[in-house]
Amino acid sequence: MDELRRNYHDDLAHAKDELVRLAAVVTESIPRATAVLLDGDLEGADYIIRGDDEIDARSLDLEELCFQILALQAPVASDLRQVVALIKMVAEVERSADLLCNICKAARRIYGHELDPKLRGIIARMGEQAQQLYDAAIESFVENDAAKAAAIDDMDSYLDGLQKQFIQAIFESHAGGRIDLQVAVQLAVVARFYERIGDHAVNIGERVRFAITGWTPEHKGAARFRTRVDLTGEIPRIPSAASFDAATGDGGGLG
Amino acid sequence: MTELEMSTVTEETNPMRLETKVDDAAETTADAQHHVFNVTDLNVYYGDFRAVQDASLTIRQHEITAFIGPSGCGKTTMLRCFNRMNDFIETARVEGSITYHGVDLYDPAVNATEVRRRIGMVFQKPNPFPKSIYDNVAYGPRLLGVKKKAELDEVVERSLKGAALWEEVKGRLKASGLGLSGGQQQRLCIARAIAVDPEVILMDEPCSALDPIATARIEDLMQEIKSKFTIIIVTHNMQQAARVSDRTAFFTTEVNPDSDRRTGRLVEFDRTKKMFSNPNDQRTEQYVTGRFG
Repeated sequence: MDELRRNYHDDLAHAKDELVRLAAVVTESIPRATAVLLDGDLEGADYIIRGDDEIDARSLDLEELCFQILALQAPVASDLRQVVALIKMVAEVERSADLLCNICKAARRIYGHELDPKLRGIIARMGEQAQQLYDAAIESFVENDAAKAAAIDDMDSYLDGLQKQFIQAIFESHAGGRIDLQVAVQLAVVARFYERIGDHAVNIGERVRFAITGWTPEHKGAARFRTRVDLTGEIPRIPSAASFDAATGDGGGLG
Repeated sequence: MTELEMSTVTEETNPMRLETKVDDAAETTADAQHHVFNVTDLNVYYGDFRAVQDASLTIRQHEITAFIGPSGCGKTTMLRCFNRMNDFIETARVEGSITYHGVDLYDPAVNATEVRRRIGMVFQKPNPFPKSIYDNVAYGPRLLGVKKKAELDEVVERSLKGAALWEEVKGRLKASGLGLSGGQQQRLCIARAIAVDPEVILMDEPCSALDPIATARIEDLMQEIKSKFTIIIVTHNMQQAARVSDRTAFFTTEVNPDSDRRTGRLVEFDRTKKMFSNPNDQRTEQYVTGRFG
């Protein structure tokens, strides 16, 4: 069978490749940011923070490309799902890069302060775990592997557990007088940044599943809400477009 | 003349028309009364050439059903079965069954003329008669025996309004239908089709000869009239199928490797939203995304 619309398919492939490249930059930057934090590498911090501008610019370009594909090519079926997934995924990647900058900025603020071996150990493991999640998310996208994408959510709970351990270790270190309050607060925030990067990887995995199978993430809250509306007739607090039209007497219709 | 045994189904008896969201789960046997056509294992032959092979689908009332697929996939042949237009082709033969509200359309007792009154057709190329606008629309009702001028006037006005053409032509009803623009001529043909009060309108690529604005007008018109009619449209324009239809049937051409003969196959039939966002069949996916021609 002949392939038709080659240029369009090239654009789609290019958009996918670009997302993979951007995500790869984030994946590689995670251990660098961890090194910045643990070794006080201020030059490395500068490098990552300046690099974020490039990620911002390329994310915008990718979003623009997706927008253009939607406007000009009217993609359908798996193509449509991929473009919609890309638009969501690029936001996740861009935000993850911002979080890496935030880790570097926190590293600058605690520069010169000694950290416990226990704290250092958990930071290293959080960094590794976040990188693994990101790796798996991107691999699942490159390999069109919905099962791998679905597994990322489970992997994330380990990172969440590390974050809780870390907060406990901060309390202990602070109580023992080994770090002052300012450092403790900075470290708590850093733990949160790693945990959020993991969440973004989970979201990417969900979008990969959507692109491959059409499955849409059914978050626990959303599912609970739908059940309540269906079963108990709970009235939504946010009026839907239809009820808004009715209430304002501004209902559309074909006229 | 044998009347088809059915009562004309009116809007009131059809609670699920318009934008009412119908859950797939809710489509049970209770839904059967809204089935206009049930096609089962349909095979259509021209001589010994099989144009359509083993097609089965259901056309539901007050829905727009689109047939898409590459040239030679049998979609127009299939469309022409619904009002027995293939009867006019000597070699054409239909096997399997098409029921219309439970009545076998190809039963020898069924009157084909009555079938075509209930199931009207609009063609690819606008084909008004070389008569006045008025006479074009009044043609069918006159054939059916309507003689009173007041009655005819009323039908002509109602039909032209129904086809969104009245405002443009009401001052020149005596002018020739051939003097209208292409888009107006096509709407005149729609007015002519609805003048005899059909239940179903078959449309064979009704917009392929029209410019984008005339096309948009016909598409809007389809949405406006679907509360009164059931529409089946054959279109080469996939985006048109996506825009206007509730359900889409995708046909493709299969080549028999032994005889090298081609035949049309119904690949997938589902809600249009599903067909264009996440079709079940790989062949549908490839066709709608342009990965094969």
